[in-house]
Amino acid sequence: MVELGVRLGIPLALLVLAYFTGAAVERRHYASIRERELRWRSVPAITFRSVPPSWKVTECTLITGSVVISVDYFKRFLAGLRAIFGGRIKAYESLLDRARREALMRLKQKAVERGYHAIVNVRLETCRMANARNSESIAGLEVLAFGTAVKLRNAP
Amino acid sequence: MKFDPSIPEDGINVSRTHPLREALLLVGGVAAIAIAVAVAAAVAVDLVAPHIPIELEVRLFSGWFDRGVEADEAVDPREQSLAKLLGRMAGHWPENPYAFEIAIWDIPEPNAVALPGGVIAVTDGLLENVESENELAFVLGHELGHFRNRDHLRGLGRGIAFSLLLVAVGVGGSSSAVELASLAGQFAQRGFDRDQEIEADRFGLALLAAEYGHVSGAEAFFEHLPELGGPLDGELASYYSTHPLNADRIQALRGMAHEMGWELRGERQPLLSLSPAR
Amino acid sequence: MILSNIETVPGKEITRFFGVVSGSTVRAKHIGKDIMAGFKNIVGGELKAYTELIGEAREDAIGRMVREAESLGANAVVNIRFSTSSVAQGAAELFAYGTAVTVE
Repeated sequence: MVELGVRLGIPLALLVLAYFTGAAVERRHYASIRERELRWRSVPAITFRSVPPSWKVTECTLITGSVVISVDYFKRFLAGLRAIFGGRIKAYESLLDRARREALMRLKQKAVERGYHAIVNVRLETCRMANARNSESIAGLEVLAFGTAVKLRNAP
Repeated sequence: MKFDPSIPEDGINVSRTHPLREALLLVGGVAAIAIAVAVAAAVAVDLVAPHIPIELEVRLFSGWFDRGVEADEAVDPREQSLAKLLGRMAGHWPENPYAFEIAIWDIPEPNAVALPGGVIAVTDGLLENVESENELAFVLGHELGHFRNRDHLRGLGRGIAFSLLLVAVGVGGSSSAVELASLAGQFAQRGFDRDQEIEADRFGLALLAAEYGHVSGAEAFFEHLPELGGPLDGELASYYSTHPLNADRIQALRGMAHEMGWELRGERQPLLSLSPAR
Repeated sequence: MILSNIETVPGKEITRFFGVVSGSTVRAKHIGKDIMAGFKNIVGGELKAYTELIGEAREDAIGRMVREAESLGANAVVNIRFSTSSVAQGAAELFAYGTAVTVE
């Protein structure tokens, strides 16, 4: 009975803890992302390889923004079970969504802080960080956003 | 070409299903698969186990569960008296095909196990708790019942079949799923274990009646060891524990004795040379 | 919704552009198919289950990207790119992104 308690109790406690902390962290992160998306909304970030014809570029540079977001125990648990049945791994969707938007916001923030007005040819790359102890599960996701930041004479 | 600073709608890239709903669905699914697998494994093993030749069993498992006693080490005198008692009990099972061996395990919890190959292991804790020869005879008879029903093979086979089947249906990938499935599987197999215990009790009781002319000592054994059935109370406890709760079991024993006309009262033999070897 | 992976929509003119729109999905095939794929790894050949998995996932991702573009009021997505990553064992993540525009 004690053995059962340990076998069941510890993972269960971890799951409950991870669920609540994970949800709280996610809520806070989304709030911060939304706030920054509003703040930097007037900075164009587009996938065009050339600048729109009306822009008069004075300066340009390569710029990057990246983030590594960790998986929580609860999400990993859900993803592990989902792999048995197949289908959408819903638990990881919000993780990717957060990572992409965060990387994009960091890209914009960096551009603005250095006095650039827009970013063109934006690319996004995703990379998984393998868990050191167990290569089957992931420790986190890295998203890299990069593009060419441009300074404009006639800033939009 | 004009720039429009609108922001796309939020949440398009995230499914709306609540994570707890998803968790419930997945856990339920895995548990259902595991229970189905456990039942399938148990049924398959129950079909096969009685047909495994005993010679094959003995050959396969000889030496697996021996006492671990070095050749020059003195043999525990308790072992000899236990073997004598076991011989007397087995004498009432004429078609017995095994050559039984006794092993004493240095474990404080009172318990006895039937092991493949014809080994009966008895713990120190059990020997210290019994008060009469009859009680011990009943325990040995109960384990002989497991041998007669080939339960010792079933337990082993079920575990193996369950693990193999689980891998075959694909629950082998993530450790949390395996853990979850094995818990559900164990739970499902308890039902099979319980039926086996009752059947082994019935056989043990019959041997006891044949040896002493009465079945006194069988229920006393459980009365002395209230903790043997597991510390939990209630429905779940009764289902969870391998050995049915003692009260239930005593009830069942009385029923059997009544049914077969065996006397529940009678003179019990004292224990001989079963005090700890030291 | 017009989709293209070049900078323009031929024959039309871009009158308005928005930011990056994206769609993504993570999918796993059930393990039975994973095991079949394991056998396939010995003899070689197309892993149909995985072609299917990634195809479905890509459709899903494009669908979500289009919904983001629609929510902006755009009628085309240009310069679309795909990226695939494996976020978990046996699972594929498909990501599609491009620039939402209005063309006339």
